[in-house]
Amino acid sequence: MAGVKPVRVVIVGGGTSGWMTAAALARLLPGRVSIHLIESEAIGVIGVGEATLPHIRGFVEKLGIREADFMAWTRGTFKLGIEFRDWGKIGDSYVHPFGTFGRGKGEVDFHHYWTRLRLAGTDVPPLEQFSYGCMLARANRFDLPLDDPDHLASTYGYAYQFDALLFAPYLRTIAEGLGAQRTEGKVVEVLRDAERGTISAVRLDDGALIEGDLFIDCSGFRSLLLGEALEEPFEDWNHWLPADRAVAMPCRTATAVTPYTSAIAMPAGWRWRIPLQHRTGNGYVYASAFTSDDDAARALTHAVEGAPLADPRVLRFRAGRRRRSWVKNCVAIGLASGFLEPLESTSIYLVQQAITALIELFPETADAPVERDEFNRLIDLEYDRIRDFLILHYHATTRTDTDFWNYVRTMTIPDSLSEKIELFRRAGRVVKYREGVFLDASWIAVYVGQGILPEGYDPRADAPDSGALIQGMQALHREITATVERVPEHLRYIDRYCAMAAAA
Amino acid sequence: MSLTRLLVVGGGITGWSTAAAIKRRVPKLAVTILPLAPPPDALADRIATTLPSVLGFHADLGIGLDDAVVRTGSLYRLGTRFEGWVEGALDYVHAYARHGEGIGGAAFQHLWARAALSGDAPPFDSLSPAAAMARAGRFVLPGGDGPLADYGFGLTLDIPRYTAMLMAFARHVGVEGHLGQLAGVEHDAQGGIAGLVLDDGTRLAADLYCDCTGPNARLHGTLGVGREDWKRWLPGDRLVLEAAPIADPLPMERVVATENGWRWIGPTQQGALYSAAHGTVPGEPIPIAAGASLEPWRHNVVAIGDAAVAIEPLEWSNLHLAHSAIDRLITMLPAGAPHPLEAAEYNRQALAEARRVRDFVLLHYATARRDTPFWHDVAGADLPDSLAHTLRLFRERGRLPFYEEETFDRDSWLAVLFGQAVLPRRIDPLADSVPPAEAMRAIAQRHAAIAQAVQPLPTLAAFRAAQSRHLHERA
Repeated sequence: MAGVKPVRVVIVGGGTSGWMTAAALARLLPGRVSIHLIESEAIGVIGVGEATLPHIRGFVEKLGIREADFMAWTRGTFKLGIEFRDWGKIGDSYVHPFGTFGRGKGEVDFHHYWTRLRLAGTDVPPLEQFSYGCMLARANRFDLPLDDPDHLASTYGYAYQFDALLFAPYLRTIAEGLGAQRTEGKVVEVLRDAERGTISAVRLDDGALIEGDLFIDCSGFRSLLLGEALEEPFEDWNHWLPADRAVAMPCRTATAVTPYTSAIAMPAGWRWRIPLQHRTGNGYVYASAFTSDDDAARALTHAVEGAPLADPRVLRFRAGRRRRSWVKNCVAIGLASGFLEPLESTSIYLVQQAITALIELFPETADAPVERDEFNRLIDLEYDRIRDFLILHYHATTRTDTDFWNYVRTMTIPDSLSEKIELFRRAGRVVKYREGVFLDASWIAVYVGQGILPEGYDPRADAPDSGALIQGMQALHREITATVERVPEHLRYIDRYCAMAAAA
Repeated sequence: MSLTRLLVVGGGITGWSTAAAIKRRVPKLAVTILPLAPPPDALADRIATTLPSVLGFHADLGIGLDDAVVRTGSLYRLGTRFEGWVEGALDYVHAYARHGEGIGGAAFQHLWARAALSGDAPPFDSLSPAAAMARAGRFVLPGGDGPLADYGFGLTLDIPRYTAMLMAFARHVGVEGHLGQLAGVEHDAQGGIAGLVLDDGTRLAADLYCDCTGPNARLHGTLGVGREDWKRWLPGDRLVLEAAPIADPLPMERVVATENGWRWIGPTQQGALYSAAHGTVPGEPIPIAAGASLEPWRHNVVAIGDAAVAIEPLEWSNLHLAHSAIDRLITMLPAGAPHPLEAAEYNRQALAEARRVRDFVLLHYATARRDTPFWHDVAGADLPDSLAHTLRLFRERGRLPFYEEETFDRDSWLAVLFGQAVLPRRIDPLADSVPPAEAMRAIAQRHAAIAQAVQPLPTLAAFRAAQSRHLHERA
């Protein structure tokens, strides 16, 4: 807009958060911002966030990126959900789908009818067999969903699994193309306005001084601006989420390129398996109070399916978040604002939500208390809901095989979560939100998948007579099975749609 | 123990709606109603004006327009015209419709606000097809693919005929009626209700009791549940209500700000709401004590309608809140004995909803500008945090915060805010992507398309007469 002086945005830290922020601000607020991103080749990128949630598609679209190009570049695959193995007890397996159970319409949720038959002693197949998205995943098949609400293909969504180390450079190209400036360097000093306490500039290791109006802290766990300079306290959630390390090791793909991420429970945590086009990402997230780095690395090396492509690499973190993400003229995005383990692939999601909120609440000046309060309110909502959902996975278990599982099984959990669990156990109720990342089907999948089965159901599910109900369920089951068989295999679909360049 | 017997107490619209809806949607329950005559202050039973949600409630029961509207002599309504709330400003119509579509990443409200700040936007409500129809006194049901494709509308009920329809429907689906007067309430050891004693000595007992007896809450009120008082924000504490049918009515009401409150003229009723501390108004006053029960569901008793939330009828939320409580109860009906956790979740949602309705009603006062002691007092009151945050964010940059359990959608908030001349201090940067001239063209096109679409439509009376004729011809 003519006459408006652009806000000088300084982003400290590249990586996924930094470049996602830079690209989105440059694309969506042209003329309003000048963007200066500082990163150092000497500081490593975490880049373990390879699995995403369906929301990422909205981000890619807003940036004006063609999905197939983006997937080819990042060697991406499709993701229909997450498979959880050995969580409720050893030997269990369930899929948390990005979709519904049943057809997802009707007044009463499908799982109430399923519960009614189960409690009546009817021999009814597992709940996930009534989710088209789950069954596509199990069959290693993929196709894009359809809009037609009468078709089963309207009952699921999808996300991507991609190489995060390729994602950031891809976004960098876009951001720089839109005018973002990049400076190589390390921040050695943060300068503050003596009166207001806001950040006025950062000094780099070569002595350069970079001034700005708004500072975005994408410095990762270090939280260089928000945590170190502004001393915003860290709210520690370690007692609920005791995993504080991960050992990562990519390997060659030796088995199927699944259209889902796997999260396999381990003696002191869990292991991820994320198949990409060119390799499979692996890592073991563990609690250092319950196992050593060496044992964890050994366990991971032993568990992976293909030949390792690198040595195991250990990362340290702590579950929790900064009390506020936006303080004065500093907004932390990504790990600098908080950390929740990647069990439900929420890292990139949280980055994206913070960016969306920042753009919608973009301030005019360094001092913007109205925007700041609303931003912090929105981010709080996201963190609290995800936190409870993650804790549920650990707590809902009957495992007694290690000290770690004994701890999480018996630990005190937040009241907000124990109430949710009890509501589901009594009559299959899921606490309703109008907005939020994990809606009804996600909670149902995890509850049922980890052995929290409803002892009652919605009285309205008694309406159909039981013969008609059983027939309806059987018909749906047959339709899902038959429809899945007509869908292409995942890898074949990728070859056609978004294969990576052969030379890559 | 399983839930098998449900007793509804209260014989107004709220009681009959509760009994009919629960029996219809959970047929295995034995539903009995004790239809006590509704008291004068049970506004959900007394106010004829309803919001669009009334039609959704009917649809869930399988009651169509023929039965709900034509056979009961109800009228359609598209919104409310507010007059004199901001001295020197134009009146405005709050209708239940969208005012425009965003362009690219820019929401429509920001584009209109930018045009308004530069002084060349048509009134916001002229961009709402339903508001334009309401002003012109015309009505059709939404349809087609033009500007009249989609909008909400409510009903102005003929209360006796509408109640009779509900009674017939309730009996048809199997609700049992029990005549008598309430003489006493017996409690159980847990503090819930064990049974009701009637004046003829009969005793009625159930597993769950629905209290639809109005603000006095003759069942729920015996449990000692706390209540939050909203009087410091909503000082209007007297209501005058009269039946006054108009021959050729508009599909909307007029709500006119007065020296110590407001008065309204609707198609079948008129009345006034005022603060007794700030003067008086002719007519028999009904006392109103604005506030909400902190636990509308306790033990085996659920308060529904005015028994749970008492609020002045501005924006006509009374029956809506009752319907919403009924729907919530149906989705949370316990499989076995009522459990405190289910009640707690129900109460959390109910209270959040009631507070946001309160915020929306209060919004009218908080942004009004009139020069009498009453209006100074309401404008000077400290606002609840949620409304203060809403207004702060809107005044700063025209954005509305998201809250769970919101009854009035974004367009409703905008209709009142823009209607009462509240404009943001600055325009959202996302509006930059649309040049002002392009936005103005879109606004002017919409304005013209709506005016053109409304002009040939029938009047409300003509539309209703044609509907009745069709029904008779078919019969």
